[in-house]
Parts: sequence; C-alpha cells; structure tokens
Amino acid sequence: MTIILLTSSSVLLLTCASFFAYEYFTFKQHIIENLSTLGAITANNSTAALTFNNSEDATEVLGALEAEPHIKLAGLYDQDGKLFAHYPEGLSMDAFPVGPANDGYSLTSGYLSSYQPVVHEHKRLGTLYIKFDTSAMYKRFRSYGYIVAAVVVASLILAFALSNGFQRQISEPIVALTKTAKAVAVDEDYSVRAPNIGTGEFVVLTEAFNQMLTRIHDGNRELRQSEERFRSAMEHSPISMSLIATDGTWLDVNQAKCEMTGYTREEMIGQIFYKIIHPDDLFVNLQHFQRLLDGEIDSYRLEERHLHKSGQVIWVDANVSIVRDDNRMPVYCIAQIQDISHRKRDEELLRNLNAELEQRVQERTHKLKEANKELEAFSYSVSHDLRAPLRAIDGFSRILLEDNADKLDEDGKRVLGVIRSNTQNMGRLIDDLLAFSRLSRKQMEPCLVNMTELASDVFQQVKSSCVDQNIHLNLAPLPNIEGDPALIRQVFVNLLSNAVKYSKTRSESLIDVSARPENGEYVYSIKDNGVGFDMAYSNKLFGVFQRLHSVEQFEGTGVGLAIVQRIVHRHGGRVWANAKIDEGATFHFSLPKESKYESANDE
Amino acid sequence: MAFSKTLRTKATSSCMKGLTACLIAASVLFSGEQVWSAPADEYQVKAAFLFNFAKFVEWPRNAFSDANAPLVIGVLGQDPFGSYLDNTLQGERVANRPVTLERYRSVAEIKRCHVLFISRSESGRLNQIVNSLRYRGILTVTDGDANQSGVIIRFVSEGNKIRFHIDSDAAKAANLVISSRLLRLG
Repeated sequence: MTIILLTSSSVLLLTCASFFAYEYFTFKQHIIENLSTLGAITANNSTAALTFNNSEDATEVLGALEAEPHIKLAGLYDQDGKLFAHYPEGLSMDAFPVGPANDGYSLTSGYLSSYQPVVHEHKRLGTLYIKFDTSAMYKRFRSYGYIVAAVVVASLILAFALSNGFQRQISEPIVALTKTAKAVAVDEDYSVRAPNIGTGEFVVLTEAFNQMLTRIHDGNRELRQSEERFRSAMEHSPISMSLIATDGTWLDVNQAKCEMTGYTREEMIGQIFYKIIHPDDLFVNLQHFQRLLDGEIDSYRLEERHLHKSGQVIWVDANVSIVRDDNRMPVYCIAQIQDISHRKRDEELLRNLNAELEQRVQERTHKLKEANKELEAFSYSVSHDLRAPLRAIDGFSRILLEDNADKLDEDGKRVLGVIRSNTQNMGRLIDDLLAFSRLSRKQMEPCLVNMTELASDVFQQVKSSCVDQNIHLNLAPLPNIEGDPALIRQVFVNLLSNAVKYSKTRSESLIDVSARPENGEYVYSIKDNGVGFDMAYSNKLFGVFQRLHSVEQFEGTGVGLAIVQRIVHRHGGRVWANAKIDEGATFHFSLPKESKYESANDE
Repeated sequence: MAFSKTLRTKATSSCMKGLTACLIAASVLFSGEQVWSAPADEYQVKAAFLFNFAKFVEWPRNAFSDANAPLVIGVLGQDPFGSYLDNTLQGERVANRPVTLERYRSVAEIKRCHVLFISRSESGRLNQIVNSLRYRGILTVTDGDANQSGVIIRFVSEGNKIRFHIDSDAAKAANLVISSRLLRLG
C-alpha cells in the first residue's frame, strides 16, 4: 500500500513541479514580449504628438494603457529627456524617473521597467517608459500551489482507499505464499502446500508454486532412491570400489576394497588414496588424477601396483572417473579396482615361454641351415669326385673293347658293353644330381616370362630329338608370369620330355598344354595319353631317384620331377599330378599371380 | 500685426519684441539648429511643422517623376519665414527623397510642388488659388485667420501654442492620404 501511495504522490508532485518551473521561466519572457508589443504600439501612436509638440494628445495616447491593469506607470520623454506626457494623468511627476535610462528592461522589487525608443522616419523622437507590476505573477503561483496541494491530498486519499480495497485481494495470498515458502526454506519440508485463497493470477501462481513443491518432493525421493541404488550396487560389487574427494581422501570404500587392501573401512576413510599405490607407479597415477581434476579428461584407466597392508604387491586394473556439477566443477571421483595379479603372472609366464620357444626355433633353424649347407657341399663334392673314377672305368672299358677286341669273345664284349652302359648311366645320374644340387644354390633372376612362347619353344626342342615319334601338341594360350626364365624353361623341359617319353608306345602322342586362374594363382597343366601310373604311388613321384618304371621300360634317373618340384617351390607354387594306369597322366604346377611385372605386361 | 499675436510669449511692446529677437538670434548662434530647446519664433516653429507635415502624408504615385525625385516645398507670395525654412530643410530627406524649397510669386509659376505654404499676402486671392490647385495633389497650408475652405491645413494659435486644423475633405480631393496620427492632432 505504501508503494501505491508513494508512487501516486511522487508522480503528482513531479508533474506539478515541472508545471511550476515551466510557468516561472516563461512568465517573465511572456511579460516582456507583451510589454514590448504594447510599448511599440504606444510609441508609434505618439510620434505625431512628439513631432508637433502636442502633449495633450500624447497624454491621451498613454491613457489607452489603462486597458492593461498591471501597468502602473507610463511616461513619454522627448528628445531632450524631459517628461513630455505621463500616465496615470493625475500622478505627480515625482513618481517618474527624472530622465530616461538606456533602452531595455530591468526587473526590480516586484516591478518590470522598460525603456523603448520612439522613432519616426529614422529619427529618434523620444523614449517611452513603462513600469509593470509583476506581483500578479506571484499571486498566480500561489493559487497554483493551492490547487496542487488540493490535488495531491485528494489523490492520496483516493489511492489509500483503493489500495486498502486491493490489499485483501493481493496481499493475503502473497502472505500465505510467503509463509509456505518460509516453512519450506527453514524446515526443508517439501510436503507442505500453500492454501489457495486468491483469485485470478494468484490461483495460477499458487498452483504453480505447489506444483513446484511436488516436483521437488518427487525429485528428492528419486534422488534418494538413486543414491540408495548406487550405494547398494557399490557395497555389494565384487569389484573393489571407492569414492575419492577432490583432495584425494577416501570418502567411502566398499567391502571388496577392504578385502583387497587388507585395511578396514574405518582405517581408510579420510586417508589419502595414494598411500596404497606402489611408489614406482605413483607419479603416473597422480599425473592422470590432476588431469582429471583440471577437466582435461573424464576418466582414466591404468594397470599399476598396489600395496596390501601386509606389504604384498598386488597388480590391479584401476579405472577412475570423475563426477562434476552443472558448472563442470569436480565433486568427487569413483575408482574401480580389479585385482589382475593372476593375469599378470600368466602373462609373464606366457611371455617367458614365447621367448624360450623363439630362441629354440632360431637355434634349430640355424643348425638346419648349417646341416643343409654341409649336405649340399658334401653331395656336390661327392658327385664331382665320383665322376673321375667313372670316367676312368668307362674310358678303360672302351680302350679294352677297341684295342683288344680280337682277344675277347662275344660274352666278354657283351659284359664290357654292360659295364660301359652302366657307367654312362651312373654318369648321367651324377650329372643330374649335380644339376639338382646347383639348383638350390642358384640365385633367382626373376622377370616377366612369356609362357606360351616358352612352352612352344621347349616343345620344338623336345620334338626334334624324337623324330621317329608321331607327336601332336595342343597348346592353349598361357598367361604370362613373373619368374626366373631359365628355371621355368627347365620345368617345361622336364614335364614335356616326360609326356613325350611315356607316350612313345602310342601310335600318336597327344599332348595338351593349358592353364587356368585359381585363387590368386595360375595353374598350368600338361596332359598326355601315355601309360600313366598308379595313383597309389603318387607320393613318390617327386622324390629324388624315385621311379615308377624300370630303366628298361623308360630310361631316366628319377631326378627330373624332383627338380620340377624344387623350382616350383622356389617360385612359391605347388606341383601335383593325376593319372590312371594306361590312361595317360596330367601334371599340374601353380605359380602365384602377384607380380610387379604384370601391369607392364598388360600395356 | 498678426505677426505678434501668435508668439509663444505674448509680446506687447516693441521693446520686448526686440529683446526676444535678440535672444532668439543668440540662441540660434550658440545652439545651432536646436530650435526646440530655445524659445522659438512663430515662423521658426511653423517652418519645422511645414517640413514635418510631409512625413505624415502620402502623395499619389504620379506626384513624383521618379523614385528619387525631390519633395518640393513651396512658398507662394511674400515669404514670412526668412531664413528659417531654408535652415530647417537644409540637408533633410523625407521618405528617402531630398527636399527642395521653391518660392513662387504667382500660381502660374507652380510646376511641381508637394507642400505649398500660401502666404498672407495672397489672402485676397485665396479662393482662386485654392480652386486652381485643388486637384493637383498639393498639400496646401496657410495661416489660419481666414476661414476659407479648400485649404488643407490651417495654422491656428491656442494659448501660446501653435496648432493646426486639417480639412480632410480637401485632402481627399487632392488625392492625399494623411496619417491618422496627424489627423488626431488636426
């Protein structure tokens, strides 16, 4: 109510004050303007009277000023400054200034005096003096004052009456609302409700307030339940859990934590959490903890060592996360610690085993390489050294056969022939063995190989050594491959020779050479219509000196396919064969497609 | 003589008259043209009035040959002003026109004139003169003994003061507009 009264009265006072100020400042200006106009008219009317020295007429002209009651005196001075005529007529001359002052206006003791020139035809004839009573102005201000006072008092009474009436409607609901708010604030009792006694907006306000209380009440209950859930989950968790304040002290720890560390809950709460961290792991953990508090990260996970109360070291997987308030200020941290000592021990064991195994493999590989080298060197030297006596046997047998043929009978000649044949056979064997042995030492010189051309070329070469045999080759276009051309040529030589050799019993040898892509490889196949073999012995096909046919049936040393296998293996491929007795055989070898020369080939 | 009848101070003896003349001469000598501040001769005052009338009268446009044409003040007949009128008009201007003084012996001599003082010497022919000048836009002035109508301004004496009467009908006939301020005094 006081506010309403204060507001209305200050508004009124302000309005009246500005009105007053305006009146005061414009009034003087207003009077001067009036006086100036009035004076100018009178002066103009006086020109003829002054010119013709007619003071009666001048007096008459001045007499017209009685229309303005506030003009107390008026005097007309002639050119010489003598009073020529005056108003009011009856007044003594002593009431007037002896002579005219300078033109202009002056305000003194309740009167405004003005001196105005009387001019005609650019000639100054005299001066008009007028004295104006300004007390009227103050009289008017006084009456304004009375009106303002009356209006203010009346407004205050009206405002008082109105606010008294409104108080019941406005204040009471507010007072009731205030009481409820106090009860809530002081007792933290969110179950109280404000009584709904107002009307209009107050009903809405009170309902909104009560609704807010209900929400807070519900929110609090949910918060308590949530806290209870969290506490229960934490307490019964098999994982060691703890709440850590921002200063690093334990706020709470669960049973699992106590069991892991060997301390009781009472021993831990209030203590700094890093007293159980191994000194060597402490620095890293504190670094992370600081970053957590600084807001750079929201959680961190470390594998570190903790110390049991007994002094025993425990390996743990520590996961620490932070809870922040709405302003992202840290409130507390949650640490979840898992004992990983067993895992650590197993890992250590596995690591040791692996290392040992690795060591062993390296040693074996090394030994194997040594042995392999020795074997190769041995076989080479053996083969080489075996050739000399063989040449001697063959040479002397030939000399004996040529020089002493007449001394030998037919049987002797035959035996010598057998000796020579066997020696030559053995020589070839040794040559092949040497070739095979050289194969493993030869440096690979890979480049793009035109397989179709190579196969065709090799076939011509093979065919030329068997002129009496009727051979037909069916050569499909073969995909090119990256490899050592000399070695790949050897593969074709061996396989095509075999195909020709084992089909020589046929009236016409039919040989098919083809290829197909398969799983990143090309599989090349050489098929013949020869005698074939029993698949039961297929595992012996590619062994050194392994033969499925006698030398009498088909000549050979049993090294060719072994060489094929070794070359294909060195190129990263495989070799195998299908066959049936008397129904021909097919040999396959595969080579990997992947080659840096392939794209060059495509262009 | 009518000359002595309208003096500011009633002089009845020639002695006094001589003294007055001496005083006026002295005052003129010592104070130059400030005729108002010193006791003035009747015709000195009338000379000033004659000139001042011109300031309160508007002539028809055709009364002047051009915008700079002089305002002519004339005296018809025997000149009673002596040197007063010459002194009064010396260097004066009315409505930005120079003022010239002309003296006429007869009406026939009047060519262009704006204010004409008709001397007492012409009083016998006044009617004839007025009739011939009536519509010529001339402000006619005369001493007021004669009661003849047709003259626009007549000087009269009231007590020791010189006043004048204005015949506004005659002014209208002459196509002159006289300021209401001057009319108030007539």
